[in-house]
Amino acid sequence: MQIFKLCMKVIKKKLPIMSIYIGVFVMLSLIMSSNISKETEKEPSFVESKANIAVIAEESTPLTEGLIKELEKNADFVEIEDDTEAIQDALYFRFATYILRIPEGFTQRFMSGEEVMLEKTVVPDSYTGVYIDMSVEKYLNTARLYVRNLKDIDINQLVEYVAGDMTKQTNLVVTVPEDKQVDFVYSNYFFNYFVYSLFSVLILGISTLMMVFNEDNLRKRNACSPIPAMRSSLQFFLAILVFTLVSWMIMVVCCVLFNLKNSININTVYFIINSFVYALSCAAMSFLIGNLIKGEGSLSAVTNVVALGSSFISGVFVPQELLGSTVLRIASFTPSYWFVNANNIIAKTSNFNLKKMEPVFSSMLIQLGFTVAFLAVALVVGKKKRYA
Amino acid sequence: MFSHIFKYRMKCLLRDKETVFWTLAFPIVLALFFNLALSGINDQETFRAIDVAVVNDEEYQKDEIFQSVLQEVSTGESPLFNLHVVIKEQAEKMLEDNEVAGYLMAGSPVTLSIKQSGLNQSIIRSFTDYYVQNMATVASIVQKDLGALDSLVNDIENQVTYIKEVSATSAEPNNILSYFYSLIAMACFYGGLQGSRDVSDIQANNTDTAARLNLAPVHKMKTFLTYMSASLLIHYGKMLILLLFLRFVIRVDFGNKLGFVMLTTFVGSIVGLSFGSFVSALLKKSEGAKVAVLIGVSMFLSFLSGMMYQGMKYIIQEKAPLLSYLNPLNLLTDAYYSLYYYDTYSRYVENMLYLAVFIPVFCIGTYLIVRRRKYANL
Amino acid sequence: MVIKVENLVKRYGDLVALDHLSLSVKEGEIFGLLGPNGSGKTTAINSILSLLQYDHGSIEIFGKPMTPEAYGIKRDIGVVMQNVAVYNELTVYDNIDYFCGLYVEGKEKRKKLVQEAIEFTGLQDFIGFYPKKLSGGLLRRLNIACGIAHKPKLIFLDEPTVAIDPQSRNKILEGIVELNRQGATIVYTSHYMEEVEQICTRIMILDKGRAIAQGTKDQLKDMITLGEKITVETSGITPEHIERLKRIPNVLSVEYNGVLVISSGKGQNNLEYVLEFFKKEGLEYGKIYSELPTLNDVFLEITGKELRD
Repeated sequence: MQIFKLCMKVIKKKLPIMSIYIGVFVMLSLIMSSNISKETEKEPSFVESKANIAVIAEESTPLTEGLIKELEKNADFVEIEDDTEAIQDALYFRFATYILRIPEGFTQRFMSGEEVMLEKTVVPDSYTGVYIDMSVEKYLNTARLYVRNLKDIDINQLVEYVAGDMTKQTNLVVTVPEDKQVDFVYSNYFFNYFVYSLFSVLILGISTLMMVFNEDNLRKRNACSPIPAMRSSLQFFLAILVFTLVSWMIMVVCCVLFNLKNSININTVYFIINSFVYALSCAAMSFLIGNLIKGEGSLSAVTNVVALGSSFISGVFVPQELLGSTVLRIASFTPSYWFVNANNIIAKTSNFNLKKMEPVFSSMLIQLGFTVAFLAVALVVGKKKRYA
Repeated sequence: MFSHIFKYRMKCLLRDKETVFWTLAFPIVLALFFNLALSGINDQETFRAIDVAVVNDEEYQKDEIFQSVLQEVSTGESPLFNLHVVIKEQAEKMLEDNEVAGYLMAGSPVTLSIKQSGLNQSIIRSFTDYYVQNMATVASIVQKDLGALDSLVNDIENQVTYIKEVSATSAEPNNILSYFYSLIAMACFYGGLQGSRDVSDIQANNTDTAARLNLAPVHKMKTFLTYMSASLLIHYGKMLILLLFLRFVIRVDFGNKLGFVMLTTFVGSIVGLSFGSFVSALLKKSEGAKVAVLIGVSMFLSFLSGMMYQGMKYIIQEKAPLLSYLNPLNLLTDAYYSLYYYDTYSRYVENMLYLAVFIPVFCIGTYLIVRRRKYANL
Repeated sequence: MVIKVENLVKRYGDLVALDHLSLSVKEGEIFGLLGPNGSGKTTAINSILSLLQYDHGSIEIFGKPMTPEAYGIKRDIGVVMQNVAVYNELTVYDNIDYFCGLYVEGKEKRKKLVQEAIEFTGLQDFIGFYPKKLSGGLLRRLNIACGIAHKPKLIFLDEPTVAIDPQSRNKILEGIVELNRQGATIVYTSHYMEEVEQICTRIMILDKGRAIAQGTKDQLKDMITLGEKITVETSGITPEHIERLKRIPNVLSVEYNGVLVISSGKGQNNLEYVLEFFKKEGLEYGKIYSELPTLNDVFLEITGKELRD
C-alpha cells in the first residue's frame, strides 16, 4: 500500500488546489439549479410564467382593447417607445421578450374580412413567446368566426362574445395530490450537472495528482521498483476512488442541504445511488485521461472538451427531449448520457416498483460497463507507458 | 534584441506540441458539440409525438367531433399525439407508469388528468383548451344562426394566421449564436494560462531559466513584453483559426463585420493574456494554484455570461447589473452579439470600452508586482 | 578590485544565512568559496548578483554598486547556476545562442562565440539534441556553455561539478583554468575541497554564513597549528604507548584505530622522533607516511567539525 499512502500525502498537499475546483463547481451547480427550478416552479399549478411584453397600438378600438385584456392573462406589460433603437434595446436587454404592433386601420380591415396582420418582434426561442402567439391567434380566429358567420355583428357584441368563449377551459385533474407533490426539478438539475461539475472536479483533481507521478524521472524510478505495474496502477486507482468519494459526498451533501424539503424521499435515494455509479465511471475516465496527457497546459483544454462537451450532447444543458436523434445516438457512447437518462426517469417516478425501475437499473449497469472499460484501457495504457 | 528573444520564445512555445494542439483543438471540438446539441433545437425531427390516452367510454363514443379532431392530430406526417384509446382503468395505470403524459375524457368541458405538469402536459392542455373554446364559439354562433353551421366548420378548419414576425434589425435575432459567442470569449480567456506562464518564466523565484534571464543585461519588462507579444501572436493565431472554423465550417453568422469580429477577438485575447499574467503575478510561486484559479475563474465567468445556461446572463443583468459589466467574458460575448444584432455601433463601442478598461488594470497590476527585481527567496 | 562586498547580512526569518560577510576579489583571480552544504555560498552569490534581497551591506562590482538595473555590469558577467537552467524546448545550439544573444547583438559575432563555447565544452556532437536527451555530465556542460558563451570578464560558477563523473569534472576544471588564463576573473563555489585546492588562487572558507578564514591555500594552512600528520601501520599499541607518544616534542594528538595517526605541529624532524620511538620500544611497523594538512584540517581545527557531511 506504499503507493496508496503516498497518493494520500500528495492529495493532502494539493488540497488547496482541489478545494478551489470543488468550490467553484459546487457554487456553479447551486446557482444554476436554484435559478432553473425557480423558473419552472410555477408550472405545477399551470400558471404559465408571464412574459414581459410591450404592445405598440397605433389605434385603440374595442377589438384591440379586448385583445390586450385577453393578453393580460398571461403577460406583464411594459411600456416602450416606438423607436427602432428603443425596441432593439428592449429586446437586447430583455426588458421585453415580445413586442406586438397593432397597425393603424387594423380593426376596420379585420371587421370587413380583409387580410390583415399584426407584427411581432421577439427574442427567439422563448417558450413564453409561444403562449402569447397562441393567445393572439386564438382570440382573433375566434373573432373571425363571429365576423364571418354572424352578419353585421356589432363590434362591442363581438368583443363580449369572444371574451366569454375565452374563459372556457379544460377541466384539469391532477392525480397526485398537491401536498404530496414533490418538486424534483432542483434535484434533477443538480444531479444532471454532475456531468459537468463532478466530472470537471475529478478530471482536474485526478490529473493534478497523476501529473506528480508521471514526471519523467519519478515514473522511471517507480518503474524500477519490484511492485508489478498492475498492482501499482490499482493502488493508484484506489487512491483516486477515495478522492472521488470525498468529492462526490461533498456535492451530494450540498445538493440535499440546499433542497432539504424535497429531499427526504425514495427518489433522492435513487438519485444518490445513480450519481455514485456515475462518479465511479468518471473516476475511471479521469484515470484514463490522467494516463494519456502530460502537461498542465493541455489539462484544462481536455477537461473542457470532455466535461463541457459531454454535458452539451448528453442532455444536461439542453434537455434530452430537444436533442436530435443523431446527437443522442452519439451521446449514448458516453456514460453521461445514461446517467442523465436515469436521472430524468427517477425525477418522473412516484410509487416505486421494480418493473418501473428497470430502465434505471439498466442505465446504471451500462455506466458500470463504461467504468470497467475505461479502467481496463487505463491499465493497459499505464503499463505501456511504464515501459515506454 | 526584441527579435532575438521573440524568435526563441516562439520556438519554445511551439515546441510544446501537446499544449499547442489541445489549446487549439478544444474550442473547435466544443464548437462541434455545441453545434450538434443546438442544431437539434430548431429541427423538426426532434419533436416526438406525445403519448396521450383517451378514455373510451359512452361519452367519447357519442362525441364524434372530439373523436375526429383527436384522430386528425394523431395521424399524418408529424402527428402531435400518439393516441391510445383505452378503458379508464387502463388509462389510469398508463398514467401511473409514465406511459402517457395524461389522459383525456370526453364531456363538456373535456377533462384532462395528469400526474404532474411539464412541457408535454402544457401542450396537451393548450390543445384541449383550444378545442373547448372553439366548441363554445360554435355553440354560441349556432344558437344565433343555425344556418351558419356548414360555413363554420369550414372556417374552423381553415385557421388564419394573424401574426407575422418582423425583425428589429437587419439581423435575425438568434439565441444559439450567443452560445458560440461565449465560446469564443472563453477561448480568448484561456489565453490566460499562457500569460501566466509568461510571468512565471521571467520571475527568478519561479524557474531557474528565469533566474538566468534576470542576470542578463536586458530590462525585465522588455523581456516580459516580448514574451507577451509572442504569446499574443500564437494565441491570436489560434483564435483566428477558431473564427475561420466557426464561420466557414459551422457557419456561425457574424453579421458581415468580420473585420470588427477580428478586432474584438484581438482585444479579447489581450484581456485574457493580461488577466492570466495578473493572476500569475499575484499568486507568485504556486504553479498549481495559478492554473486552478485561472480555470476556476474562467469557468465561473463563462457560466455567468450564459455559456452553460443562457438565462443566467439575464438573471445577472436583472439582479446584479454591475456584475455583468465587471465580467469581461460577458462584455466580450455582448460585443460579438451587438456586432451581429445592431445596425449601429454604439452598443458595440460601449462594450468594447468597458472591456478595454480591464487591460490597463491587469497590466498595471502585473507591472507593480513583477517590477520588483530582487527576491526574498529563490 | 573586481568585487567588493562589505558587511553583507541576509536573514531568512530567524535563520541568519549571511552574517556580516565581507569579501573582495581581484582581477585575474580564481576566488574559491568553500563551505559545507548550507553554509551560505549560494546565498552569497545570489546576493552579489542582486537576485536576492539582503538586509544589510554593500556590493560593488567593477567599482560600481550592483543593482538589478546595472545592465552595464551585467553585460560583463557570466553565471553558471547550481541548478541546470536551460530550456527543455530548445536544442543545445539554440539554448546557447539564446542566452548569448541576450548579451551580444551582432549575428556574425554571436555565431562565432556560440561555436567557441560549443567547442570549449566539447558539445560538438550534440548541438541538435534537446536537453532531455543529454546525460547529467553533458547537461552540466551545456549549463556552463550557456553561462560563458558571451566571453564575460567575471564568471560566477556555483557548484558546477555537483553530481558529475570524474572525467567530466576534470574537463570542467581544466576549462575553468583555461577561462582564467584567457583573462576572466572567476568566483567558484564548491564543497569539494580538492577542487578548490586544485584550481583556486585564493580561498574563503564559509561556515554558518560567516567567513571563518581566507587566503591562499598555503596561507590557510599556515593559520593552523597542525604541521603534518604521520600515519603508521602497526599493531600491538597499548594505551601506555599512546601516553608516551604524546610526550614526544611537537606532538598535538595521537589516535589509534588499527593504524596510528599522530598529528604534529609545525616544526622539524617530526617523523624522525616517531621513528626513534618505534626503534626504542622495539615495535614492528609496515608502511609509514607523512601528510601535509588539507583544507579539511583547516576547517576541522577552526570549527571543530568535518567539512564533509
